[in-house]
Amino acid sequence: MEMRDVTYNKNDYVETASGNKVSKQTVLCGSQNIVLQGRVIVQPEAIIRGDLANVKTGRYCIISKEAVIRPPYKKFSKGVAFFPLTMGDNVYVGEKSIINAAVVGSYVYIGKNCVIGRRCILKDCCIIEDNTILAPETVVPPFTRYSGNPGVQIGQAPECQMDFMVDFTRSYYQHFVPAKLI
Amino acid sequence: MAYIIEQEVVKYVCTCGLLKPISKLYFCRYCLEVRCGFCVCHEVDSHFCEKCLENMPSAEARLKKNRCGNCLICPSCLLHLSVRAATVGPKNPEDPKATPRKVVYLHCLMCRWSSRDVGIPDQIAATGGWPERENVYNVRLSEIIEWYKSVVLLEKQQKLEKDKKKQRKYMSFTDKTGLTAEMIRKRIGLTEPPNPLLKTKAKPLEGAIAKEDVEELPDNIFTQPIKLNEITTVQQRLLQPEWQPVTVDKLFPIHKHLSVKQSLRCRSCEHNVSKPEFNPNSVRFKIQLFAYYHIPEIRIVTVEPLRAGQPAELLLKFINPTQHQTVVTILDLSSMPELIQDDKCSADTSTDDELKPIEKEPLSLSLTQSASLLHTTLSRQPSFTIKPRQTKQQVGADIEIPAANFVLPPRDDAAEFDDSGENYNFNDDPRLVKWRKSNKAVIKLQITPSTDLNLGDQVVVGFVMQHIYTNTIATSVEKDKEPQKCQHKIRVFLSLGNLLGSSE
Amino acid sequence: MPIYEGYGTITDKLTFIIDIGAAYTKIGFSAEFAPRAIVASEVRCKNTNQVRNIYDYKDKEDLYDLLVEFIHLLYFKYALISPKDRAVVIVESLLCPTLFRETLAKVLFYHYEVASLLVVPSHLVSLATLAIDTGLVLDIGYTEAVAIPICHGSPVLHAWQALPLGSQAIHSHVKTLLSADNTGIQNISESVLEDIKEDIKVRCCFVTKRERAEKLRSVSSDIAPCPSVVYPLGGTKSLNVSGKLREMMYEIFFDEDLDHLCISTMILNVIASVDVESRTLLAENIVLIGGTCMAPGFKARLKAELYRQLKNERYSKFKNIKTIKFHTPPAKENYTAWLGAAIYGATEIVSMKALSKDQYFKEKRLPDWWSNLKDVVRSI
Repeated sequence: MEMRDVTYNKNDYVETASGNKVSKQTVLCGSQNIVLQGRVIVQPEAIIRGDLANVKTGRYCIISKEAVIRPPYKKFSKGVAFFPLTMGDNVYVGEKSIINAAVVGSYVYIGKNCVIGRRCILKDCCIIEDNTILAPETVVPPFTRYSGNPGVQIGQAPECQMDFMVDFTRSYYQHFVPAKLI
Repeated sequence: MAYIIEQEVVKYVCTCGLLKPISKLYFCRYCLEVRCGFCVCHEVDSHFCEKCLENMPSAEARLKKNRCGNCLICPSCLLHLSVRAATVGPKNPEDPKATPRKVVYLHCLMCRWSSRDVGIPDQIAATGGWPERENVYNVRLSEIIEWYKSVVLLEKQQKLEKDKKKQRKYMSFTDKTGLTAEMIRKRIGLTEPPNPLLKTKAKPLEGAIAKEDVEELPDNIFTQPIKLNEITTVQQRLLQPEWQPVTVDKLFPIHKHLSVKQSLRCRSCEHNVSKPEFNPNSVRFKIQLFAYYHIPEIRIVTVEPLRAGQPAELLLKFINPTQHQTVVTILDLSSMPELIQDDKCSADTSTDDELKPIEKEPLSLSLTQSASLLHTTLSRQPSFTIKPRQTKQQVGADIEIPAANFVLPPRDDAAEFDDSGENYNFNDDPRLVKWRKSNKAVIKLQITPSTDLNLGDQVVVGFVMQHIYTNTIATSVEKDKEPQKCQHKIRVFLSLGNLLGSSE
Repeated sequence: MPIYEGYGTITDKLTFIIDIGAAYTKIGFSAEFAPRAIVASEVRCKNTNQVRNIYDYKDKEDLYDLLVEFIHLLYFKYALISPKDRAVVIVESLLCPTLFRETLAKVLFYHYEVASLLVVPSHLVSLATLAIDTGLVLDIGYTEAVAIPICHGSPVLHAWQALPLGSQAIHSHVKTLLSADNTGIQNISESVLEDIKEDIKVRCCFVTKRERAEKLRSVSSDIAPCPSVVYPLGGTKSLNVSGKLREMMYEIFFDEDLDHLCISTMILNVIASVDVESRTLLAENIVLIGGTCMAPGFKARLKAELYRQLKNERYSKFKNIKTIKFHTPPAKENYTAWLGAAIYGATEIVSMKALSKDQYFKEKRLPDWWSNLKDVVRSI
């Protein structure tokens, strides 16, 4: 199916010089620690916890409504330390998903209502289906499809996943247009 | 996005007759045919561990029984185990100089299973050295295998001699079962003089002795209540076939099973259609002949409500993924007669012939040659192709085939950043082409759902897409030659949605 | 990379051993002592996303597709080798439908292009694990129990006996008994029950002693059944698995039907149909294979039942059978047949007797030497 236009109210979004479109209704804690590389869409009520550690996304990432991006922590004998969270290019994060991963590779699709446990490593070109709960420190290898609670591999991603995600995130960005004032 | 999570609505017919979305198809540049996962030859390319993402040479993988030496999985919930560090008191607490020791143990972050639960001693080094278990029957089983090997070898030797003497070849039932004739002869004391060439070193093996006493039920089973969480599930048992522990205190960590990268090979021309890079982290390919890169992609833009017998407008988007201009023509399904003819003859003949391999002419010589080499080397045998099967897809709507064709310009990655207005001079038929931008075009088709359909039925429409494929292999060899162009046809089926009631 | 793989294989041929059972499939390599994996014989259907057992096929083509999918899983998920140009050993049951074995051969030769295929009968190869050549092999699997005597290395086919008693019968019995015990079970969906019945059987049930079974069955039983178990069901709900159910579950194996047929009489009937000299030998060489035999107390109960039946006047002609002896294979019961095939697979038999690709394409079918043998036996 061809993607339809998604319109937004121009007043509700901040558009940066690099093409990021960030809703004003998001919670960006510690915004000095958040790096959005460009052409990133952050939708309303998403939370990015830059106050815990650095959060860095690549280009063409889509953070859907009510998603939570939260850097992971690790317990040490002397206390707790937070680690930076990096996200590659062309990543889609579905609605209400909670991302505690250490690394999210490029061309990753994360469905809605997922919980990505702390310090997970999601390699490039993997798919996390809707409602998946990944146990902490899970490694998701490239070209795999994870699902279930706890999330386990249930199949493989198509070999052209990279091009699909590029195409998908780009057309999502292109179809994400401000509503025309009548 | 259609390919990632949703049901596929646009399906292409592979050369083998199966319907697949474009993401699962390959395009062999040498045969100029579409292939899919079902009709290519899969090969194991490289072994790697999914946890540590490290390659393992195939010889080592075999030695380690396809398991990673470092990574372990939880025997209880089958997820990865993490190594946890802990400090324990010194060995002799009386000694004032002793410092607390650092030890590691295994811990599952999902189900909280830990190697301490089953009494595995903590280790000093994080890299492992976890105790391994051995099959208790190892010695006995290797004896049995050696013995059977020698018996069969003896029989083989005797058979060879027999053949030499050109004796009349007789068959007894027992001979057919394998080594048994030999065993009977042995049993009744008719051992033939052993061949001096044959090493009959294996000592005669004692058969197992049956016993009258068997394991009785423990008496407390009738009185003691069982704790379900102390008894393993079938899945947990089968994960360790050699031990199949019944209680959870016998669950031991399991080495992570390896995964493989696969390469795919076209069965009719033996060329690879997909070959991944060696590095497990890499998502690139050495060879990638995916249909997505070669065949125009079709997407449904909109479709008017479908009502039986009433024409509806269907807008389709065509995308040219190649670096060459192409011309797309939409044809009726019957315009691919050669396949349909094939289907017919396979349907007529007896069922056994439907999978008849099509022997390849140029390879027949190597076939006969390699047959003799079959057991000595594992050299690659040529594949054979399987006759395509009939496509069972029913079409539920008529399509008005447009008379005109349309041009799709080559893909241009830079065009995306070029916001300047583009002018096209393709002399498009305005009734057909509705919109176009760089390598994409939206066309309009008229469809009429058949009146035979019931309400709520899925409406499927099919047509043949003919496009010009520019073959780039020839150009790389002979530079001055024009790239070879050919017409390629492929059948496409679109699921348009359910039939609605009449408009009243 | 198949070329590199080739170097090591000249000395040690790697033969893939597959034992496709009705519920679980055992796979591994020749000359190994245990299967690499025991996996459920089912595949996830790509179109409907439903899990289907490969024996639930609709027709030939459906079975072909199911097997293609399933064997792909075996090779590329568990065995991690390329199937092409390698030998395969298949363990088959005597009662394997012709359609299934023919389709399996077709899949292996046409789709996976294996070099050669050796089909071995499960009952015969199971004896290889014991290095004996005479014995009565009783295979209790998922769908049925099959007993076949093997005398001097060849199966005595006319003496075979089979009953539809296996895990499947137990599972449906679990369901009926649970529904009787728990009135609330109607609220639990069928699919949940489907998933847990095997688990209840394995984790809660055992084969009780004969005396207890008889007492428990009588209305005025003076003994208390074993403690009942509360089986948790999805967090909040729970199921009561009564002690009686736990003990009586396997009784269907020993309840004689109208023709006096049950597991114990089946064995004796097998012994009755072989020649007199072999009878004692068979009674003293009973081999139990198949996962269902792993139920706690099964062997002890079977022994007791056999002794009890021997006292019955129907079996008075078995006077000289004084003892009944069981073998203990060096393996778990559920993969004994696989282990036998792995022993065979390590020998030269694979290169001598296996059906090669060329032969198969000439004949277009799997030689059915069992049926040939049967015909000959009948004619004698």
